[in-house]
Amino acid sequence: MMPPRVMAAARPYLYLTPTLAVLAAFTYFPIARLAEMSLRAPSVGTSLGPWIGLSAYAKLFANPLFWRVLGQTILFVFASVPIAMALALGLALLLDQPLRGLSVFRVLYYTPVVMPTVAVAALALWMFNANGGIVDYFLRSLGIAPVPWLVESKWALPTLILIAVWKNVGYYMIIYLAGLQSLPRAVLDAARLDGARPIMRFFTITLPLLRPTTFFITVVALIGSFQVFDFVNLMTQGGPSNATNVLVYFAYQNGFEYLQLGMAAAISLIMFALVLGILGLVAGALNR
Amino acid sequence: MIRRSASYAVLVAGLVPLLLPFYWMAVTSLKPKREIFTATPQWLPAHPAWDNYLLAWTAEPFARFFFNSAVVTALIVALQLVLASLAAFALSRFEFHGRRIIFWIIVAALIVPVQVTFIANFMTLAHFGLLNTYAALIAPYAASAFGTFLLRQAFAAVPRQLEDAARLDGCSGLAFLWHVLLPLSRPTVLAFALVAIVAHWNDYFWPLIVTNNNAVRTLPIGLGMFIGQEVTTDWNLLMAASIFVSAPMLLLFFFMQRYFVQSMLRTGIRG
Repeated sequence: MMPPRVMAAARPYLYLTPTLAVLAAFTYFPIARLAEMSLRAPSVGTSLGPWIGLSAYAKLFANPLFWRVLGQTILFVFASVPIAMALALGLALLLDQPLRGLSVFRVLYYTPVVMPTVAVAALALWMFNANGGIVDYFLRSLGIAPVPWLVESKWALPTLILIAVWKNVGYYMIIYLAGLQSLPRAVLDAARLDGARPIMRFFTITLPLLRPTTFFITVVALIGSFQVFDFVNLMTQGGPSNATNVLVYFAYQNGFEYLQLGMAAAISLIMFALVLGILGLVAGALNR
Repeated sequence: MIRRSASYAVLVAGLVPLLLPFYWMAVTSLKPKREIFTATPQWLPAHPAWDNYLLAWTAEPFARFFFNSAVVTALIVALQLVLASLAAFALSRFEFHGRRIIFWIIVAALIVPVQVTFIANFMTLAHFGLLNTYAALIAPYAASAFGTFLLRQAFAAVPRQLEDAARLDGCSGLAFLWHVLLPLSRPTVLAFALVAIVAHWNDYFWPLIVTNNNAVRTLPIGLGMFIGQEVTTDWNLLMAASIFVSAPMLLLFFFMQRYFVQSMLRTGIRG
Protein backbone atom coordinates (compact mmCIF):
# COMPACT_ATOMS: atom_id res chain seq x y z
CA MET A 1 0.00 0.00 0.00
CA MET A 2 1.44 3.35 -1.06
CA PRO A 3 1.41 6.23 1.37
CA PRO A 4 -1.47 8.66 0.69
CA ARG A 5 0.82 11.54 -0.42
CA VAL A 6 2.36 9.40 -3.16
CA MET A 7 -1.09 8.21 -4.18
CA ALA A 8 -2.29 11.79 -4.52
CA ALA A 9 0.72 12.77 -6.61
CA ALA A 10 0.22 9.78 -8.87
CA ARG A 11 -3.45 10.46 -9.51
CA PRO A 12 -3.25 12.75 -12.54
CA TYR A 13 -0.82 10.36 -14.22
CA LEU A 14 -3.21 7.52 -13.49
CA TYR A 15 -6.08 9.41 -15.14
CA LEU A 16 -3.94 10.18 -18.18
CA THR A 17 -2.60 6.67 -18.63
CA PRO A 18 -5.45 5.14 -20.68
CA THR A 19 -5.51 8.04 -23.17
CA LEU A 20 -1.73 8.16 -23.49
CA ALA A 21 -1.54 4.37 -23.87
CA VAL A 22 -4.05 4.35 -26.74
CA LEU A 23 -2.38 7.29 -28.49
CA ALA A 24 1.05 5.73 -28.02
CA ALA A 25 -0.09 2.38 -29.42
CA PHE A 26 -2.20 3.59 -32.35
CA THR A 27 -0.91 7.06 -33.24
CA TYR A 28 2.73 7.55 -32.26
CA PHE A 29 4.18 4.06 -32.33
CA PRO A 30 2.78 3.50 -35.87
CA ILE A 31 4.81 6.43 -37.21
CA ALA A 32 8.02 4.80 -36.01
CA ARG A 33 6.72 1.49 -37.28
CA LEU A 34 6.02 2.97 -40.72
CA ALA A 35 9.57 4.27 -40.86
CA GLU A 36 10.89 0.83 -39.97
CA MET A 37 8.60 -0.90 -42.46
CA SER A 38 9.67 1.44 -45.24
CA LEU A 39 13.31 0.43 -44.68
CA ARG A 40 12.60 -3.30 -44.63
CA ALA A 41 10.74 -5.71 -46.88
CA PRO A 42 7.77 -6.69 -44.71
CA SER A 43 5.30 -9.32 -45.78
CA VAL A 44 1.71 -9.90 -44.75
CA GLY A 45 1.55 -11.96 -41.61
CA THR A 46 4.09 -11.27 -38.95
CA SER A 47 7.43 -11.00 -40.69
CA LEU A 48 9.03 -7.58 -41.01
CA GLY A 49 11.64 -8.97 -43.39
CA PRO A 50 15.27 -8.03 -43.96
CA TRP A 51 16.56 -4.44 -43.87
CA ILE A 52 16.80 -3.09 -47.39
CA GLY A 53 17.76 0.52 -46.73
CA LEU A 54 16.21 3.25 -48.84
CA SER A 55 15.36 1.12 -51.83
CA ALA A 56 11.60 1.51 -51.38
CA TYR A 57 12.04 5.29 -51.58
CA ALA A 58 14.40 4.98 -54.54
CA LYS A 59 11.89 2.83 -56.41
CA LEU A 60 9.09 5.19 -55.55
CA PHE A 61 10.91 8.29 -56.72
CA ALA A 62 11.83 6.54 -59.95
CA ASN A 63 8.19 5.63 -60.59
CA PRO A 64 6.44 8.26 -62.74
CA LEU A 65 3.08 7.09 -61.39
CA PHE A 66 4.10 8.17 -57.88
CA TRP A 67 4.77 11.71 -59.08
CA ARG A 68 1.50 11.76 -60.95
CA VAL A 69 -0.40 10.57 -57.87
CA LEU A 70 1.37 13.19 -55.76
CA GLY A 71 0.45 15.91 -58.26
CA GLN A 72 -3.17 14.79 -58.42
CA THR A 73 -3.44 14.76 -54.64
CA ILE A 74 -2.08 18.31 -54.45
CA LEU A 75 -4.41 19.38 -57.24
CA PHE A 76 -7.39 17.85 -55.44
CA VAL A 77 -6.49 19.59 -52.17
CA PHE A 78 -5.65 22.97 -53.66
CA ALA A 79 -8.76 23.02 -55.82
CA SER A 80 -11.35 21.66 -53.40
CA VAL A 81 -10.22 23.55 -50.29
CA PRO A 82 -10.23 27.12 -51.69
CA ILE A 83 -13.45 26.58 -53.66
CA ALA A 84 -15.27 25.16 -50.65
CA MET A 85 -13.88 27.85 -48.34
CA ALA A 86 -14.87 30.70 -50.66
CA LEU A 87 -18.40 29.33 -51.05
CA ALA A 88 -18.60 28.76 -47.31
CA LEU A 89 -17.53 32.32 -46.55
CA GLY A 90 -20.09 33.68 -49.01
CA LEU A 91 -22.88 31.66 -47.42
CA ALA A 92 -21.75 32.58 -43.92
CA LEU A 93 -21.86 36.29 -44.83
CA LEU A 94 -25.40 35.87 -46.14
CA LEU A 95 -26.44 33.98 -43.02
CA ASP A 96 -24.82 36.50 -40.67
CA GLN A 97 -27.63 39.00 -41.12
CA PRO A 98 -30.53 39.84 -38.84
CA LEU A 99 -33.04 38.20 -41.16
CA ARG A 100 -35.95 35.94 -40.40
CA GLY A 101 -35.71 32.21 -41.07
CA LEU A 102 -31.96 32.03 -41.58
CA SER A 103 -31.57 29.21 -39.06
CA VAL A 104 -33.46 26.94 -41.46
CA PHE A 105 -30.85 27.59 -44.16
CA ARG A 106 -28.10 27.01 -41.63
CA VAL A 107 -29.46 23.54 -40.88
CA LEU A 108 -30.14 22.64 -44.52
CA TYR A 109 -26.70 23.71 -45.74
CA TYR A 110 -25.15 21.60 -43.02
CA THR A 111 -27.00 18.37 -43.91
CA PRO A 112 -24.43 16.92 -46.37
CA VAL A 113 -21.82 17.05 -43.60
CA VAL A 114 -23.61 14.36 -41.55
CA MET A 115 -24.13 12.07 -44.56
CA PRO A 116 -21.93 8.97 -44.79
CA THR A 117 -19.39 9.30 -47.62
CA VAL A 118 -20.56 5.92 -48.90
CA ALA A 119 -24.13 7.15 -49.39
CA VAL A 120 -22.84 10.31 -51.08
CA ALA A 121 -20.70 8.18 -53.38
CA ALA A 122 -23.67 5.96 -54.29
CA LEU A 123 -25.83 8.99 -55.02
CA ALA A 124 -23.13 10.71 -57.05
CA LEU A 125 -22.50 7.56 -59.09
CA TRP A 126 -26.16 7.59 -60.04
CA MET A 127 -26.48 11.32 -60.71
CA PHE A 128 -23.28 11.53 -62.78
CA ASN A 129 -23.92 8.22 -64.51
CA ALA A 130 -23.37 8.19 -68.26
CA ASN A 131 -26.48 6.05 -68.65
CA GLY A 132 -29.53 7.88 -67.30
CA GLY A 133 -27.74 10.28 -64.95
CA ILE A 134 -29.76 13.37 -64.14
CA VAL A 135 -26.82 15.78 -64.39
CA ASP A 136 -26.41 15.05 -68.08
CA TYR A 137 -30.15 15.51 -68.54
CA PHE A 138 -29.89 19.04 -67.12
CA LEU A 139 -26.96 19.80 -69.40
CA ARG A 140 -28.87 18.54 -72.42
CA SER A 141 -31.90 20.62 -71.55
CA LEU A 142 -29.57 23.66 -71.46
CA GLY A 143 -28.29 22.66 -74.89
CA ILE A 144 -24.93 21.41 -73.57
CA ALA A 145 -23.50 18.07 -74.65
CA PRO A 146 -23.31 15.41 -71.91
CA VAL A 147 -20.00 15.29 -70.06
CA PRO A 148 -18.16 11.97 -69.56
CA TRP A 149 -17.91 12.73 -65.84
CA LEU A 150 -16.28 9.66 -64.40
CA VAL A 151 -15.44 7.98 -67.68
CA GLU A 152 -12.84 10.30 -69.12
CA SER A 153 -9.50 11.05 -67.48
CA LYS A 154 -9.63 14.81 -67.65
CA TRP A 155 -13.13 14.97 -66.11
CA ALA A 156 -12.88 12.38 -63.35
CA LEU A 157 -10.80 14.34 -60.83
CA PRO A 158 -12.82 17.56 -61.26
CA THR A 159 -15.97 15.49 -60.64
CA LEU A 160 -14.56 14.20 -57.37
CA ILE A 161 -13.56 17.75 -56.42
CA LEU A 162 -17.12 18.91 -57.07
CA ILE A 163 -18.52 16.14 -54.85
CA ALA A 164 -16.04 16.88 -52.05
CA VAL A 165 -16.98 20.57 -52.17
CA TRP A 166 -20.68 19.68 -51.95
CA LYS A 167 -20.01 17.48 -48.92
CA ASN A 168 -17.78 19.92 -47.00
CA VAL A 169 -19.03 23.40 -47.72
CA GLY A 170 -21.60 23.35 -44.89
CA TYR A 171 -18.96 22.48 -42.35
CA TYR A 172 -16.68 25.38 -43.24
CA MET A 173 -19.72 27.63 -43.47
CA ILE A 174 -20.70 26.96 -39.86
CA ILE A 175 -17.18 27.70 -38.62
CA TYR A 176 -17.05 30.91 -40.65
CA LEU A 177 -20.42 31.86 -39.23
CA ALA A 178 -19.07 31.31 -35.72
CA GLY A 179 -16.10 33.51 -36.60
CA LEU A 180 -18.32 36.24 -38.02
CA GLN A 181 -20.58 36.23 -34.98
CA SER A 182 -17.64 36.70 -32.65
CA LEU A 183 -16.30 39.80 -34.47
CA PRO A 184 -16.45 43.04 -32.49
CA ARG A 185 -19.70 44.70 -33.60
CA ALA A 186 -18.42 48.15 -32.63
CA VAL A 187 -15.65 48.09 -35.24
CA LEU A 188 -18.03 46.96 -38.00
CA ASP A 189 -20.63 49.58 -37.02
CA ALA A 190 -18.04 52.34 -36.92
CA ALA A 191 -16.94 51.45 -40.45
CA ARG A 192 -20.52 51.51 -41.63
CA LEU A 193 -21.12 54.92 -40.04
CA ASP A 194 -17.97 56.21 -41.71
CA GLY A 195 -19.69 55.36 -44.97
CA ALA A 196 -17.26 52.68 -46.10
CA ARG A 197 -18.78 50.71 -48.95
CA PRO A 198 -19.74 47.07 -48.20
CA ILE A 199 -17.01 45.66 -50.45
CA MET A 200 -14.39 47.94 -48.89
CA ARG A 201 -15.59 46.98 -45.43
CA PHE A 202 -15.33 43.30 -46.27
CA PHE A 203 -11.76 43.45 -47.57
CA THR A 204 -10.31 45.96 -45.13
CA ILE A 205 -12.10 44.97 -41.93
CA THR A 206 -14.09 41.72 -41.94
CA LEU A 207 -11.58 39.53 -43.78
CA PRO A 208 -8.53 40.59 -41.73
CA LEU A 209 -10.49 40.16 -38.50
CA LEU A 210 -11.49 36.68 -39.63
CA ARG A 211 -7.90 35.55 -40.03
CA PRO A 212 -7.87 33.18 -37.01
CA THR A 213 -11.03 31.52 -38.33
CA THR A 214 -9.59 31.24 -41.83
CA PHE A 215 -6.44 29.75 -40.35
CA PHE A 216 -8.39 27.18 -38.37
CA ILE A 217 -10.54 26.13 -41.34
CA THR A 218 -7.51 25.96 -43.62
CA VAL A 219 -5.70 23.59 -41.25
CA VAL A 220 -8.73 21.34 -40.75
CA ALA A 221 -9.58 21.35 -44.46
CA LEU A 222 -6.02 20.61 -45.58
CA ILE A 223 -5.65 17.68 -43.20
CA GLY A 224 -9.09 16.39 -44.18
CA SER A 225 -8.57 16.76 -47.92
CA PHE A 226 -5.20 15.04 -48.04
CA GLN A 227 -6.98 12.02 -46.55
CA VAL A 228 -9.33 11.72 -49.53
CA PHE A 229 -9.92 8.03 -50.13
CA ASP A 230 -13.58 7.03 -49.80
CA PHE A 231 -14.85 8.68 -53.01
CA VAL A 232 -11.87 7.36 -54.96
CA ASN A 233 -12.24 3.80 -53.74
CA LEU A 234 -16.02 3.75 -54.14
CA MET A 235 -16.43 5.69 -57.37
CA THR A 236 -13.35 5.34 -59.56
CA GLN A 237 -10.87 2.91 -57.98
CA GLY A 238 -8.27 5.48 -58.89
CA GLY A 239 -9.22 5.39 -62.56
CA PRO A 240 -9.77 5.89 -65.39
CA SER A 241 -6.12 4.90 -65.95
CA ASN A 242 -5.00 6.37 -62.60
CA ALA A 243 -6.49 9.81 -63.28
CA THR A 244 -8.00 9.92 -59.79
CA ASN A 245 -5.33 8.00 -57.94
CA VAL A 246 -4.33 9.89 -54.79
CA LEU A 247 -1.74 9.23 -52.07
CA VAL A 248 -3.90 7.36 -49.54
CA TYR A 249 -5.41 5.23 -52.28
CA PHE A 250 -1.96 4.61 -53.79
CA ALA A 251 -0.67 3.49 -50.38
CA TYR A 252 -3.74 1.27 -49.93
CA GLN A 253 -3.23 -0.24 -53.39
CA ASN A 254 0.43 -0.92 -52.79
CA GLY A 255 -0.23 -2.43 -49.38
CA PHE A 256 -3.34 -4.48 -49.93
CA GLU A 257 -3.49 -5.16 -53.66
CA TYR A 258 0.19 -5.50 -54.59
CA LEU A 259 1.22 -6.58 -51.05
CA GLN A 260 4.12 -4.12 -51.17
CA LEU A 261 3.81 -3.14 -47.52
CA GLY A 262 7.19 -1.41 -47.35
CA MET A 263 6.28 0.72 -50.35
CA ALA A 264 2.89 1.51 -48.83
CA ALA A 265 4.58 2.58 -45.58
CA ALA A 266 6.94 4.86 -47.50
CA ILE A 267 4.02 6.49 -49.33
CA SER A 268 2.17 7.07 -46.04
CA LEU A 269 5.22 8.65 -44.45
CA ILE A 270 5.83 10.91 -47.44
CA MET A 271 2.24 12.05 -47.28
CA PHE A 272 2.54 12.75 -43.57
CA ALA A 273 5.70 14.79 -44.13
CA LEU A 274 3.98 16.68 -46.93
CA VAL A 275 0.99 17.56 -44.76
CA LEU A 276 3.27 18.70 -41.94
CA GLY A 277 5.28 20.83 -44.35
CA ILE A 278 2.21 22.48 -45.85
CA LEU A 279 0.72 23.09 -42.41
CA GLY A 280 3.98 24.76 -41.43
CA LEU A 281 3.81 27.02 -44.49
CA VAL A 282 0.18 27.90 -43.83
CA ALA A 283 0.93 28.63 -40.19
CA GLY A 284 3.77 30.90 -41.27
CA ALA A 285 1.64 32.72 -43.80
CA LEU A 286 -1.62 33.11 -41.91
CA ASN A 287 -0.84 32.99 -38.22
CA ARG A 288 1.62 35.83 -37.79
CA MET B 1 -35.25 45.78 -48.69
CA ILE B 2 -33.60 44.91 -52.00
CA ARG B 3 -30.59 43.54 -50.17
CA ARG B 4 -32.82 41.39 -48.06
CA SER B 5 -34.67 39.87 -51.01
CA ALA B 6 -31.36 39.37 -52.80
CA SER B 7 -29.99 37.49 -49.80
CA TYR B 8 -32.99 35.20 -49.67
CA ALA B 9 -32.85 34.67 -53.43
CA VAL B 10 -29.20 33.59 -53.32
CA LEU B 11 -29.76 31.33 -50.32
CA VAL B 12 -32.76 29.66 -51.94
CA ALA B 13 -30.92 29.27 -55.24
CA GLY B 14 -28.09 27.60 -53.35
CA LEU B 15 -30.51 25.05 -51.97
CA VAL B 16 -31.19 23.61 -55.42
CA PRO B 17 -27.82 21.90 -55.93
CA LEU B 18 -27.83 21.10 -52.24
CA LEU B 19 -31.23 19.48 -51.82
CA LEU B 20 -32.00 18.19 -55.30
CA PRO B 21 -29.62 15.22 -54.82
CA PHE B 22 -31.46 14.26 -51.63
CA TYR B 23 -34.77 14.48 -53.45
CA TRP B 24 -33.47 12.44 -56.36
CA MET B 25 -32.15 9.81 -53.97
CA ALA B 26 -35.55 9.49 -52.27
CA VAL B 27 -37.52 9.41 -55.53
CA THR B 28 -35.24 6.87 -57.15
CA SER B 29 -35.47 4.64 -54.09
CA LEU B 30 -39.23 4.33 -54.63
CA LYS B 31 -39.24 3.66 -58.36
CA PRO B 32 -40.01 0.28 -59.85
CA LYS B 33 -37.23 -0.87 -62.15
CA ARG B 34 -38.93 0.19 -65.39
CA GLU B 35 -39.25 3.80 -64.19
CA ILE B 36 -35.55 4.28 -63.43
CA PHE B 37 -34.30 4.96 -66.94
CA THR B 38 -36.64 7.34 -68.70
CA ALA B 39 -36.00 9.82 -71.50
CA THR B 40 -37.08 12.71 -69.28
CA PRO B 41 -36.63 12.45 -65.54
CA GLN B 42 -39.72 11.21 -63.76
CA TRP B 43 -40.05 13.48 -60.74
CA LEU B 44 -42.50 11.26 -58.91
CA PRO B 45 -42.73 7.49 -59.12
CA ALA B 46 -45.94 6.52 -60.95
CA HIS B 47 -46.17 3.30 -58.97
CA PRO B 48 -44.20 3.71 -55.72
CA ALA B 49 -42.37 0.47 -55.01
CA TRP B 50 -42.11 0.44 -51.25
CA ASP B 51 -40.80 -3.08 -51.24
CA ASN B 52 -37.56 -1.75 -52.75
CA TYR B 53 -36.54 -1.13 -49.16
CA LEU B 54 -37.22 -4.72 -48.16
CA LEU B 55 -35.41 -6.01 -51.25
CA ALA B 56 -32.39 -3.82 -50.53
CA TRP B 57 -32.40 -4.70 -46.84
CA THR B 58 -32.22 -8.40 -47.61
CA ALA B 59 -29.84 -8.14 -50.58
CA GLU B 60 -26.94 -8.09 -48.11
CA PRO B 61 -26.97 -9.04 -44.41
CA PHE B 62 -27.78 -5.43 -43.57
CA ALA B 63 -29.43 -6.35 -40.27
CA ARG B 64 -26.11 -7.80 -39.13
CA PHE B 65 -24.20 -4.74 -40.41
CA PHE B 66 -26.64 -2.45 -38.66
CA PHE B 67 -26.12 -4.29 -35.39
CA ASN B 68 -22.33 -4.18 -35.82
CA SER B 69 -22.38 -0.46 -36.57
CA ALA B 70 -24.51 0.23 -33.51
CA VAL B 71 -22.28 -1.81 -31.19
CA VAL B 72 -19.03 -0.43 -32.54
CA THR B 73 -20.21 3.19 -32.56
CA ALA B 74 -21.67 2.93 -29.05
CA LEU B 75 -18.55 1.35 -27.59
CA ILE B 76 -16.19 3.81 -29.29
CA VAL B 77 -18.14 6.83 -28.11
CA ALA B 78 -18.53 5.45 -24.56
CA LEU B 79 -14.82 4.70 -24.30
CA GLN B 80 -13.89 8.10 -25.72
CA LEU B 81 -16.09 9.85 -23.20
CA VAL B 82 -14.65 7.94 -20.25
CA LEU B 83 -11.01 8.23 -21.29
CA ALA B 84 -11.33 11.86 -22.36
CA SER B 85 -13.09 12.81 -19.10
CA LEU B 86 -10.32 11.26 -17.01
CA ALA B 87 -7.52 12.81 -19.06
CA ALA B 88 -9.23 16.19 -19.21
CA PHE B 89 -9.81 16.05 -15.46
CA ALA B 90 -6.08 15.51 -14.87
CA LEU B 91 -5.07 18.25 -17.32
CA SER B 92 -7.52 20.84 -16.04
CA ARG B 93 -7.64 20.38 -12.25
CA PHE B 94 -4.20 19.09 -11.19
CA GLU B 95 -0.74 20.61 -11.00
CA PHE B 96 1.91 18.07 -11.89
CA HIS B 97 5.22 17.59 -13.63
CA GLY B 98 5.00 17.40 -17.40
CA ARG B 99 1.46 18.72 -17.66
CA ARG B 100 2.19 21.05 -20.56
CA ILE B 101 4.15 18.44 -22.48
CA ILE B 102 1.49 15.79 -21.99
CA PHE B 103 -1.15 18.24 -23.15
CA TRP B 104 0.78 18.92 -26.35
CA ILE B 105 1.49 15.23 -26.92
CA ILE B 106 -2.26 14.63 -26.86
CA VAL B 107 -3.18 17.61 -29.04
CA ALA B 108 -0.48 16.80 -31.61
CA ALA B 109 -2.22 13.47 -32.24
CA LEU B 110 -4.86 15.51 -34.11
CA ILE B 111 -2.52 15.90 -37.08
CA VAL B 112 -1.86 12.16 -37.41
CA PRO B 113 -4.91 10.72 -39.16
CA VAL B 114 -5.62 7.02 -39.44
CA GLN B 115 -5.13 7.47 -43.20
CA VAL B 116 -1.41 7.82 -42.40
CA THR B 117 -1.03 5.10 -39.78
CA PHE B 118 -3.34 2.42 -41.19
CA ILE B 119 -0.67 0.12 -42.61
CA ALA B 120 1.28 -0.01 -39.36
CA ASN B 121 -1.89 -0.47 -37.31
CA PHE B 122 -3.05 -3.19 -39.66
CA MET B 123 0.25 -5.02 -39.13
CA THR B 124 0.02 -4.68 -35.34
CA LEU B 125 -3.55 -5.99 -35.21
CA ALA B 126 -2.71 -8.81 -37.61
CA HIS B 127 0.24 -9.71 -35.40
CA PHE B 128 -2.09 -10.15 -32.43
CA GLY B 129 -4.64 -12.06 -34.51
CA LEU B 130 -7.22 -9.30 -34.03
CA LEU B 131 -8.32 -8.67 -37.62
CA ASN B 132 -12.06 -9.17 -38.09
CA THR B 133 -12.89 -8.44 -34.46
CA TYR B 134 -14.82 -5.67 -32.75
CA ALA B 135 -11.60 -4.98 -30.84
CA ALA B 136 -9.81 -4.04 -34.06
CA LEU B 137 -12.64 -1.70 -35.04
CA ILE B 138 -12.73 -0.03 -31.64
CA ALA B 139 -9.26 -0.01 -30.07
CA PRO B 140 -7.56 2.63 -32.26
CA TYR B 141 -10.41 5.04 -31.51
CA ALA B 142 -10.73 4.32 -27.77
CA ALA B 143 -9.02 7.60 -26.95
CA SER B 144 -9.88 10.91 -28.60
CA ALA B 145 -7.37 13.72 -28.68
CA PHE B 146 -10.15 15.99 -29.75
CA GLY B 147 -12.54 15.01 -26.99
CA THR B 148 -9.77 15.39 -24.43
CA PHE B 149 -9.02 18.88 -25.70
CA LEU B 150 -12.67 19.96 -25.70
CA LEU B 151 -13.41 18.60 -22.24
CA ARG B 152 -10.24 20.11 -20.85
CA GLN B 153 -11.39 23.54 -22.04
CA ALA B 154 -14.82 23.00 -20.50
CA PHE B 155 -13.47 21.69 -17.19
CA ALA B 156 -10.92 24.49 -16.92
CA ALA B 157 -13.77 27.01 -17.10
CA VAL B 158 -15.29 25.70 -13.86
CA PRO B 159 -14.24 28.11 -11.09
CA ARG B 160 -11.76 27.09 -8.42
CA GLN B 161 -14.11 28.16 -5.60
CA LEU B 162 -16.62 25.55 -6.68
CA GLU B 163 -13.97 22.89 -6.29
CA ASP B 164 -13.10 24.13 -2.80
CA ALA B 165 -16.75 24.23 -1.80
CA ALA B 166 -17.31 20.74 -3.14
CA ARG B 167 -14.30 19.47 -1.23
CA LEU B 168 -15.68 20.90 2.02
CA ASP B 169 -18.84 18.94 1.31
CA GLY B 170 -16.72 15.81 0.99
CA CYS B 171 -16.93 15.71 -2.81
CA SER B 172 -13.44 15.37 -4.26
CA GLY B 173 -11.50 13.37 -6.82
CA LEU B 174 -13.62 11.30 -9.18
CA ALA B 175 -16.78 12.23 -7.29
CA PHE B 176 -16.08 15.87 -8.15
CA LEU B 177 -15.57 14.91 -11.81
CA TRP B 178 -18.82 12.94 -11.90
CA HIS B 179 -21.07 15.17 -9.79
CA VAL B 180 -19.78 18.63 -10.67
CA LEU B 181 -17.48 18.88 -13.71
CA LEU B 182 -19.40 16.61 -16.10
CA PRO B 183 -22.89 17.99 -15.34
CA LEU B 184 -21.56 21.56 -15.68
CA SER B 185 -19.97 20.66 -19.03
CA ARG B 186 -23.09 19.01 -20.43
CA PRO B 187 -23.27 21.07 -23.66
CA THR B 188 -19.66 20.22 -24.51
CA VAL B 189 -20.10 16.55 -23.61
CA LEU B 190 -23.25 16.33 -25.71
CA ALA B 191 -21.73 18.17 -28.65
CA PHE B 192 -18.67 15.97 -28.64
CA ALA B 193 -20.75 12.79 -28.30
CA LEU B 194 -22.93 13.75 -31.28
CA VAL B 195 -19.95 14.53 -33.46
CA ALA B 196 -18.24 11.28 -32.46
CA ILE B 197 -21.38 9.24 -33.16
CA VAL B 198 -21.66 10.68 -36.67
CA ALA B 199 -17.95 10.26 -37.39
CA HIS B 200 -17.84 6.61 -36.36
CA TRP B 201 -21.21 5.56 -37.75
CA ASN B 202 -20.13 6.95 -41.12
CA ASP B 203 -16.54 5.71 -41.01
CA TYR B 204 -15.70 3.73 -44.11
CA PHE B 205 -11.93 3.72 -44.15
CA TRP B 206 -10.86 1.90 -41.01
CA PRO B 207 -13.49 -0.89 -41.10
CA LEU B 208 -12.44 -1.47 -44.72
CA ILE B 209 -8.86 -2.09 -43.56
CA VAL B 210 -9.57 -4.51 -40.71
CA THR B 211 -12.66 -6.46 -41.78
CA ASN B 212 -13.35 -8.90 -44.59
CA ASN B 213 -16.01 -10.97 -42.91
CA ASN B 214 -19.75 -10.27 -42.73
CA ALA B 215 -19.88 -11.13 -39.03
CA VAL B 216 -18.05 -7.90 -38.14
CA ARG B 217 -18.59 -5.66 -41.17
CA THR B 218 -20.32 -2.35 -40.54
CA LEU B 219 -23.02 -0.56 -42.55
CA PRO B 220 -20.75 1.64 -44.67
CA ILE B 221 -18.80 -1.45 -45.73
CA GLY B 222 -22.04 -3.26 -46.54
CA LEU B 223 -23.23 -0.34 -48.64
CA GLY B 224 -19.84 -0.16 -50.34
CA MET B 225 -20.16 -3.84 -51.30
CA PHE B 226 -23.65 -3.14 -52.57
CA ILE B 227 -22.29 -0.33 -54.76
CA GLY B 228 -19.80 -2.78 -56.22
CA GLN B 229 -22.56 -5.20 -57.17
CA GLU B 230 -25.49 -3.04 -58.14
CA VAL B 231 -23.73 -0.27 -59.91
CA THR B 232 -25.02 -1.14 -63.37
CA THR B 233 -28.80 -1.17 -63.09
CA ASP B 234 -30.54 -1.42 -59.74
CA TRP B 235 -30.22 2.23 -58.75
CA ASN B 236 -33.56 2.08 -56.94
CA LEU B 237 -32.28 -0.56 -54.52
CA LEU B 238 -28.93 1.18 -54.09
CA MET B 239 -30.68 4.47 -53.26
CA ALA B 240 -32.98 2.67 -50.80
CA ALA B 241 -29.94 1.15 -49.09
CA SER B 242 -28.17 4.53 -49.04
CA ILE B 243 -31.20 5.99 -47.32
CA PHE B 244 -31.45 3.43 -44.55
CA VAL B 245 -27.70 3.65 -43.95
CA SER B 246 -27.86 7.47 -43.68
CA ALA B 247 -31.23 7.71 -41.93
CA PRO B 248 -30.06 7.28 -38.33
CA MET B 249 -27.58 10.15 -38.71
CA LEU B 250 -30.03 12.38 -40.57
CA LEU B 251 -32.65 11.80 -37.86
CA LEU B 252 -30.12 12.39 -35.11
CA PHE B 253 -29.07 15.59 -36.85
CA PHE B 254 -32.55 16.96 -37.39
CA PHE B 255 -33.69 16.22 -33.84
CA MET B 256 -30.47 17.45 -32.24
CA GLN B 257 -29.56 20.13 -34.79
CA ARG B 258 -29.63 22.81 -32.13
CA TYR B 259 -26.79 21.05 -30.31
CA PHE B 260 -24.90 20.27 -33.52
CA VAL B 261 -25.00 23.81 -34.77
CA GLN B 262 -24.31 25.28 -31.35
CA SER B 263 -21.37 22.98 -30.85
CA MET B 264 -20.01 23.98 -34.25
CA LEU B 265 -20.52 27.59 -33.39
CA ARG B 266 -18.65 27.11 -30.16
CA THR B 267 -15.85 24.85 -31.24
CA GLY B 268 -15.92 24.21 -34.94
CA ILE B 269 -15.74 20.47 -34.57
CA ARG B 270 -16.38 18.00 -37.28
CA GLY B 271 -19.63 16.11 -37.84
